[in-house]
Amino acid sequence: MKQLIQWIVIPIIIGILCLFVSNQLSQTESVDGKVLYVYNWGEYIDPELIDQFEEEYGYKVILETFDSNEAMLAKVKNGGTHYDVAVPSEYMIEMMKEEDLLVPINYEQIPNIKHIEDEFLDLSFDRNNEYSVPYFWGTVGILYHPERTKSIDFSSWESLYDERLKNEVLLVDGPRESLGFALNLNGYSLNSKEDQQLDKAYDSLLDLTPNIRGIVGDEINTMMTQNEAKAAVVWSGMARDIMWENEALDYIVPEEGSNLWFDNFVIPKTAQNTKGAHEFINFLLDPEISAQNTEWVGYATPNEAAKALLDKEVSEDERFYPSDQMKEKLEVYENLGEAYTNKYSELYLKFKINLN
Amino acid sequence: MKKFFLALIVFVLYFPILFLAFYSFNSAGNMTSFEGFTLEYYRNVLTDDRLMSIIFNTLSIALISSSIATIFGLSGALMLYLIRSKHMRSTYLSINNILIVSPDVIIGSSFLILFMYLGIQLGFMSVLLSHIAFSIPIATLMILPKLYEMNDEMINAAIDLGASKLDVLTKIVLPNIKPGLIAAFLMSLTYSLDDFAVSFFVTGNGFSVLSVEIYSMARKGITMEINAISTLIFVIVMILIAVYYMVTQRGRKEVQS
Repeated sequence: MKQLIQWIVIPIIIGILCLFVSNQLSQTESVDGKVLYVYNWGEYIDPELIDQFEEEYGYKVILETFDSNEAMLAKVKNGGTHYDVAVPSEYMIEMMKEEDLLVPINYEQIPNIKHIEDEFLDLSFDRNNEYSVPYFWGTVGILYHPERTKSIDFSSWESLYDERLKNEVLLVDGPRESLGFALNLNGYSLNSKEDQQLDKAYDSLLDLTPNIRGIVGDEINTMMTQNEAKAAVVWSGMARDIMWENEALDYIVPEEGSNLWFDNFVIPKTAQNTKGAHEFINFLLDPEISAQNTEWVGYATPNEAAKALLDKEVSEDERFYPSDQMKEKLEVYENLGEAYTNKYSELYLKFKINLN
Repeated sequence: MKKFFLALIVFVLYFPILFLAFYSFNSAGNMTSFEGFTLEYYRNVLTDDRLMSIIFNTLSIALISSSIATIFGLSGALMLYLIRSKHMRSTYLSINNILIVSPDVIIGSSFLILFMYLGIQLGFMSVLLSHIAFSIPIATLMILPKLYEMNDEMINAAIDLGASKLDVLTKIVLPNIKPGLIAAFLMSLTYSLDDFAVSFFVTGNGFSVLSVEIYSMARKGITMEINAISTLIFVIVMILIAVYYMVTQRGRKEVQS
């Protein structure tokens, strides 16, 4: 009996010790218990900057990570958590706005907003940036292996249909990304709400079938790194990451046009420390801080002053900071409304079913 | 032939883990070609306070929840054992089993809804409670067979000799089913360490566990830090099993001598 009690009690004691150690580890100097909860994508902020923020502002920052906009929404919407800052993408911001989950941003507390390039402000998903502040942005394009796809010119979406790419193209698993490029290919807007255009796009997508290697999620990262496919339609941020791993690859945004995406800061309604949230956002918009963060994360920054501080090699890289001419062709996803969101998903599902 | 087959199975089982562990020492930072030996990723993991704190959180939840679940599992198993009506017993057992086979996602989301309804903040408590809850059915199932293996005559003899109910429980039943209790504890521990779906729903407010963290890290591709953590945990588990094996072996020898 004694022995059995020991068997039960010892793990509990060790467990409590672990908890204690964990608390000690996450304990940093915080003045009168000021805490800031940040909810961000995995590996989407330089940890050094968090330390720096804690030191300068006397907050204890608790960083939690999510892996999809939908997962983030589920946590924020159900309550029980009080994140002070979250970083959703544009369409999710629109949704959260509609569901009344966000607090308006007070720009008096964010003077550093002046560093953000005008073209990234006042966009369709959040007019006047009432609820969101730009963090990073990017495009959708083609990641390819120049040596193994010799003489294929990827500057058009058409190139994906090349016979030499039989069974070599990867797609990200997203209805809007896939139908989006098919729409662009046909010269339509990727926010199209015309059935005829959508049907045409669907047909184009179906034509691509022989070339499609697979429709995958984050596995693209490993697959492309290990040269398992010759080309993939991916987001620029993902492309950047993969290109760091596999230098033989190249990325291009086709000239018919493509998607422009954003990840923005928002302050959820459940936030308990809106002052700290504003300070945190303002801190990260500081040019030097933002430049350091951009180097660490590797996505494109909307911060003009920070961009000027970056290596010319990075900031003049037209693959990731497209020229103005190119930018004109890029479109931000608009909220399609329920009917068309469903239509997109349905067509995409139909395409996936017909794939086999 | 038999030996070859066995070797093949062991190879298939362990190859992925060894593959991953091998590349955790790769200085090239990828899993394509081995460049040179490095401990950089281990250092990164060990010096990352946030990650270490999450590892300790995970261990703490696993240890506490499986201890408590073992106690509850024991009472559950005893109750099932004592029910005389066959019909009732199988009904209760089925209810217990349904929870084992029902998908974690459903358990997780219903916990989330329940906690919100009760006004329990997400964090240590919510994770602990849900881990205890999903471990209980498993613990019960691990303990029950040991109760049935027990020799009833011993209990009757003890009662005839004037043992109190408490004596019967502590001096006869518990020592007899000890392997079952240990198995229940270890299974719950594994379930808790392994669980993603339930934890995903109930972590929050700065409290996170390893599975959830690794999942969001993996969004940007498997970094070598993930390899390093996985290797560390694998080694720790191996050591624990070795210790467990040694303890039980020693126990057996004592009994024999």
